[in-house]
Parts: sequence; C-alpha cells; structure tokens
Amino acid sequence: MKLLTLVLGTGRELSAKATLYVLAGISTLILLGAAATLSRSTTDEGSTLLLFGNPAGPPATPEVFSGMVNSMEAAFAGGLFAGVVLFGMFATAGVLPDALERGTVDLYLSKPIARWELLAGKYCGSVLAMFVNIIYFIGFLWIIVGVRVGIWNMNLLLAGLMMTFAFACLFAIVSLFGVLTRNMAISIIVGFVYLFVISEVLQNREEGLYHLSTNEIYRGILDGLYYVFPQIPAMQHNVLKLVAGNGIEWRPFVQSFLSSTGILALAAWILGRKDF
Amino acid sequence: MLAIEADSLSKTYTSGLLRRERVEALAGFSLAVESGQIFSLLGPNGAGKTTFIKILLSLTHPTTGRASIAGIPLPNVGIKSRIGYLPESHRYPGYLTGAQVLSFFGKLSGVDTGVLAQRIPSLLELVGMTQWRGMKVKKYSKGMMQRLGLAQALINDPEILFLDEPTDGVDPLGRKEIREILKELKRKGKTIFLNSHLLSEVELISDRVAILDKGKLLKTGTVDELTTGGTNYLIGIVGTVPEVALAESRALVLRLSTANGALTADCPTTAELNKVIDLLRRHGVEITSVVQQRNSLEESFISLIKREVAP
Repeated sequence: MKLLTLVLGTGRELSAKATLYVLAGISTLILLGAAATLSRSTTDEGSTLLLFGNPAGPPATPEVFSGMVNSMEAAFAGGLFAGVVLFGMFATAGVLPDALERGTVDLYLSKPIARWELLAGKYCGSVLAMFVNIIYFIGFLWIIVGVRVGIWNMNLLLAGLMMTFAFACLFAIVSLFGVLTRNMAISIIVGFVYLFVISEVLQNREEGLYHLSTNEIYRGILDGLYYVFPQIPAMQHNVLKLVAGNGIEWRPFVQSFLSSTGILALAAWILGRKDF
Repeated sequence: MLAIEADSLSKTYTSGLLRRERVEALAGFSLAVESGQIFSLLGPNGAGKTTFIKILLSLTHPTTGRASIAGIPLPNVGIKSRIGYLPESHRYPGYLTGAQVLSFFGKLSGVDTGVLAQRIPSLLELVGMTQWRGMKVKKYSKGMMQRLGLAQALINDPEILFLDEPTDGVDPLGRKEIREILKELKRKGKTIFLNSHLLSEVELISDRVAILDKGKLLKTGTVDELTTGGTNYLIGIVGTVPEVALAESRALVLRLSTANGALTADCPTTAELNKVIDLLRRHGVEITSVVQQRNSLEESFISLIKREVAP
C-alpha cells in the first residue's frame, strides 16, 4: 500500500511536468502521420504499401510484404528507443534528487517507510510513467499498422516492454548518481556520458580500446566493465532485430538485469547510510 | 513512562577532502521526556536541536549513543507510525492541493483510506484551512504552509509529535491558535516535543524545557525552575531610605537601585540579602515585602548561554 502510494505519487509528480507531455505530443503527431499516410493495396500481383496513396514499392508476396512492414516498424521503434531514452532521462532524472532535498526527504523518512522503499517507489514510479508513454506510442502504432496495413506484429508490443526495460536499466545508473550527488544535472550528465560514450565504447571495445594494448589483464578489465554495466546498445540492436522479425539474443537483457539490480542495490545501500 | 529517551548521543559531521573537517553537532547528549508532556528544546543556532530530532526520526545516524521512542530502541521504521513530524523547512508537492497532500502523507503513514476520508476534513478544520483545501499548495503563503504542516504531522493521530519551529511565519493570531491546538493535544495525552526560537511562546505552553548549546545539555527543568533562582530581590519599603543606608547597602550587594517605594538589590546569596535587610532595619527603614524577582525564560536562556560562552 505504502509502496504503491509512492509509485503512484511519482507518476503524478511526473505528470505535472511538461517533459513527458512533449514526448506524448511528439508520439501523437507521429501516430497521426502514420494513420494518415499508411495504407495497403492488394492486387493479384501482390500487396503494396501505400504512402499518401502512392506505392512505396512494387507489389510483393505476403511474406515479403510482411517483412517490409516489419522493417518499417523497426525504424519507428529505433526512433522511439532513442526518444524514450533521451526524453525519459530528462523527465525522470530529477525525481530522486528532488525527493532527497531538505524539507522533502524529512517528510518522507518521518513516515513508516524504509529508505529502500523510498528508492524503489521513486524508481518504479518513474519507470511506470515511461512505460505508459512507450505503450501509448507502440500500442497505437500497432493498432494503426494492423488496421491500415493488415499486419499485426506482436513483436512490436514485446519491443515496448523491452524498451521500458532498457530505460529502467539506464535509469538505475541515473538513480545511483541521483542518490550519490542529489543533483539532477549531474545525474543527467552521467546518464548521457554512459549512454553515448561509455556503453558505446565498451560495446565496440574489440574495434577500439582493444587496439591500445594487447595486455590480457587490460582486455579482461574492459570485458569485465562491459558485463558489469547495462548493455544499452546491444539491447537496442536486439529490439530492432525482434521487430524486424530477425530473432533476438536474450543475453544482453539478462546481463543488464543483473547489473541493474546490483546498481540499484548499491544505491539503496548508499541511501541507507546517508545523513539528512 | 518515557516517550523519548536519549543516552550519550553524539554526532560528528565530517566534510571536505578526505573528510577531515569535523563538526560536533551533539556531544554526549542525554535526555528523558515523560509521556503526555509538552517538552521544549531550546538553543542558539547550531546548538544541535534539529540534529537531535533527526536522530530520533532516523534521518541522521548517531556517531555514538542510543535513543528510544516509547521504549523501542532506534532505528525502527515501525515506530514512525506512532509519531508525527513537522520539519523546520518543509516542501510539499506544489501540484497537489492541501487535501491531497494530507491524503498522500496519510497513506504513506499507513492510515486507511476510509479513516483518511473522515480525518482530513476535521484536521483541515482544526488548523483553519478548510476553505483552502482545494487550492494548490504552490499558492499557499508561509503561514498556510505551517498550518498544513501541522495537519500533516497529525494525520496518523500520533502519540508523539515533533514540531520544529511550528509557528515560523505564522501571524500572532495564528500562533495563539496553534498554541491552543497543542494544549488540546496535550489534554488528549499526546507528547509534544517542540523546537522553537520563540521563547515567549515556549514559556506559555511548555511543561519542561531543556537548553542545549554546542551539542551539550546545559540545563533541564520546568519553566518555573528555569526562570527562578535569579539574584535580584525587590524590597518593598515605606518612605525613603536614608542616604547613609543606601551607601552602606551598596557596599554589600552587586547592584542597588531605588524606584517607586522599592529597592532592587542584586544579591548573589541570601546572606547578602539578610545583611541588607538588617542594615535597613538598623536605619529604621520599614520593610513591607521581599520578593525574589523571576527571570523571563529568555533572560534565563541568554544568561545560561552567555555563561557558557564566557572564558
């Protein structure tokens, strides 16, 4: 009950900010655009995807047509993945620093809730708010494509869950720094540096950092770091593969789950030791 | 029964590079507060008052020592369902209305929704906020926030109430109303632990007072105990005191003054007072009364703190 109050309270807190509405607004525009432009024409020669009523290619067999639509959805999903991570971080990075500010944390912790519950409530509330945003876009995209084009790609819905999960992994890092520094700006910067620099460099270590040294220990450390932190680029790659119907590798998700759990446990431990 | 007990609590804050800068907020602080009292903790800024409350609420961890609330050793999350807290600076979510704030913190306190539906209107009425219950908190004045804060602290019908500067920013009429609320809560058997700079208010409502400075307990007692014991005596006389008697008396006491048919003598001990009385009687002065003058709580407080500061 108390944890649920915290989760819902965080959702409400985020709904009072403009950032998520901007993301929802952009999603709505894209969805309206998709609804207005996408349609399907089926003849004896096969099916054609129509954009603004114009054929996007030659008639194709049902299998090829389905692959084309799935690839298009994968492109949408790729754009959404980037949007979710960027807007999501902006919208939610302040949740924990705000909760830990003087005058606010006193109120929370004077109630019969443990510190880890405060962290869990704020974390889950933020992830839930992002989930609602993602499902809004993905769900309606799925319906629009299904109704207008006749392809009901269940993997697209699954991709919504995976995107939420990838955001949750990144948000674990943002939360850790939110607890450590109680500063939204630092949390966002760390999130961006991790997303665009560290995770990319570690993901592509074999083509990059490996060349700096052939030392086994050095390379072992790089591998270790790669497996210790959430693997956002690998998850993004797999989400696109899944939506396009090219299968999926679960390893990055499992490893990211374990590392994010560890990061959140560390954040809870640090929060438990803090003086307010 | 003891509502609050602290035994040799100390808290040292460290900061800076390698945590070498140290500030001792509490230094072996011990205190016992009986249930059903209004207990006030006084001290200058930085004395350690807020640190003490924060340790009791497990917002801050003590460096050494132990504390308990209602006999339950701290830290203990469960005990917080039996206490209410109004922090010195509190920030409520600005997008919520007053009633929604109470509902949110009530649920966090573990109060049932059905109970909250009845309690929220009555608390808003108690603190005089009924007409603003639907207004967003971000539009509230400081005084309104304090009133809402008090209602928030009472939302779980606590046994023990911690109030840090509860009348800060409240107008005189509002302060009187809050005092009446606190007295009523005491009548209902609640324990109220008060931190306040407004000594005149503390004097009006407190059963016991403790004075804290630099993390150490200087004195504890009832308001009467803390305000008596002054060295000024008002000696009522008939007529005037001969000059020679005045001169001889001045040699016996620290200070002596006359006004409106009375002598005010600052006598460090009763021996000096008796010598002055003997001297006046020898000179034929008729004495009608001798009254030990009572200090105000503020005077006692300042005198105690100054004594500590003096080398």
